[in-house]
Amino acid sequence: MNDSEKLDRLLKQALASEEEPEEKLNEELINRYKERNRMKRGTRKRLSAGVLVAVLAVALSATAYAATQLFSSKQVAEHLGEKALAGAFGSSDAIEINKTVTSGGYEVTLHGIVSGAGLRGLDASGISSDRTYAVVSVARQDGSPMPKTSDPEYGKDPFFVSPLIKGLKPWQVNIFTMKGGYAETVVDGIAYRLIECDGVEMFADRGVYLAVSSGGSFFSKDAFVYDEQTGEIAPNGDYAGAAVLFDLPLDKVKADPAKADAYLRELLKEPSDEKTSEASASPGSPEDELVNEMERLNSKIPDAKVLEGSVLEVGYDGKGNIVYDYDGWHVVRLAETLFTEGQTGEWVVAGFSGDDSGYKALQFSKDEQGVVKGRILLLD
Amino acid sequence: MEIEELSDLVKRHGKAIYSFCRVLAANRADADDLYQETFLKAVEKREQLDASRNPKGFLLSIAVGLRRNHRRKFAWRQRIAPMDELAAADDRFDLAGGATPEETAISRELRDRIRDAADGLGDKLKIPLYLFYTADMSVDEIASALQIPVGTVKSRLHQARRTMKEKLEAELL
Repeated sequence: MNDSEKLDRLLKQALASEEEPEEKLNEELINRYKERNRMKRGTRKRLSAGVLVAVLAVALSATAYAATQLFSSKQVAEHLGEKALAGAFGSSDAIEINKTVTSGGYEVTLHGIVSGAGLRGLDASGISSDRTYAVVSVARQDGSPMPKTSDPEYGKDPFFVSPLIKGLKPWQVNIFTMKGGYAETVVDGIAYRLIECDGVEMFADRGVYLAVSSGGSFFSKDAFVYDEQTGEIAPNGDYAGAAVLFDLPLDKVKADPAKADAYLRELLKEPSDEKTSEASASPGSPEDELVNEMERLNSKIPDAKVLEGSVLEVGYDGKGNIVYDYDGWHVVRLAETLFTEGQTGEWVVAGFSGDDSGYKALQFSKDEQGVVKGRILLLD
Repeated sequence: MEIEELSDLVKRHGKAIYSFCRVLAANRADADDLYQETFLKAVEKREQLDASRNPKGFLLSIAVGLRRNHRRKFAWRQRIAPMDELAAADDRFDLAGGATPEETAISRELRDRIRDAADGLGDKLKIPLYLFYTADMSVDEIASALQIPVGTVKSRLHQARRTMKEKLEAELL
């Protein structure tokens, strides 16, 4: 046997692997798939305790195949794997807008929007005709690329993209409160976001905007000004970042005032009426809304049930992060961010996740030996 | 894609994909993550998966693509084993009860040294090497998965083997 054949044989022996995925790993994969499917059909609301940026999305990474600039809402939806939605964006009921506004160093484009009739017949694909979907893209004015979702810089300048309704307080009625979510991808340096939320067609007679601002994931009263007298919403010209409002050319015939009133009565019922009136007297910040919501969920914890099988000792990734995987949760966190010094024996909340079927809380606890465990609570 | 279809895909190709992810990733946690993300991404690209007619190749190409976009940096150790040791290893095989090299497993230390040497290759050479030896793919399948010409695959495999040989002989110099 010559050297070449010898080397080939050794490489075969050395590099062949007999490792198999653990059964648990495959079970978690199936669970994650189920969770992603469920999130696509309902709300995508994930609140992270102690952190003021709440991500309502599944962020998708651009792959090695992405090489084409995407121009239409249909193309963006296709790229994000939403085939049924892509078809809806291509239908005659979709509104293709393709308007670009430059603001705060960014070029913001509203590509298109689809609601109602354009979504009929897509229930089997998890698309509801009671929802509104829109596609927005953001590019840097100087031509430098937006960071990819896999880049450490990604998310450092977060964006708020949301419908807003004239006459309704934007901090009360926006994508967060309208059971919204989004998926995002970056292709050729341009960030494309597909948002969804409860349908806005019913408000067509009031005036509906699509707001986009940088510098935060929530509605910002620094970026937008709300006139309580007239109900007009406008970008703040002095805002350092991007603040753009697009008028949505919805067909007023599709407005449904009765449905809109009923929707708003339900929407504005939580938090409590006392807190609603406090918010009316002096507009609360988005952070206040988040805190209120977290307090509401925290109050459910004492009576919550532990999700069977979820109490698990965490893993470690060798970089000081704990790793917890169960029921679609995949959490990698610095252990020191969870516990105060010397804190043992208590379950601390690390996050909430919710959708139409109820909310869950993720908790971690450390014992005196330093062993960290995680568990999931069913809040509803 | 139905749950059953995904489960079937995992059952048929999970081991090959996992083996590949294990050699690509720095540790088990990263490999587990890459493994799951690979299948979840494949589900999103259902049409391309079906059109490829080579689900294993398609899955492996996804794993390669995801790894490129992955945030984590991998630290690689580089250790080398001299060709003398390879020759000595053969002698040991021959002495081990007359068993042939094909029938005797290589020592763990030698295997680790070879893997470390492979890990030290750049992605351009390492990935075709692993696809060939770890994932047991043919040259044509590798070309299809990486979307490069067959000739390029052959050239890179040749270059990888040559570099490995130099690394493994370096201690002699």
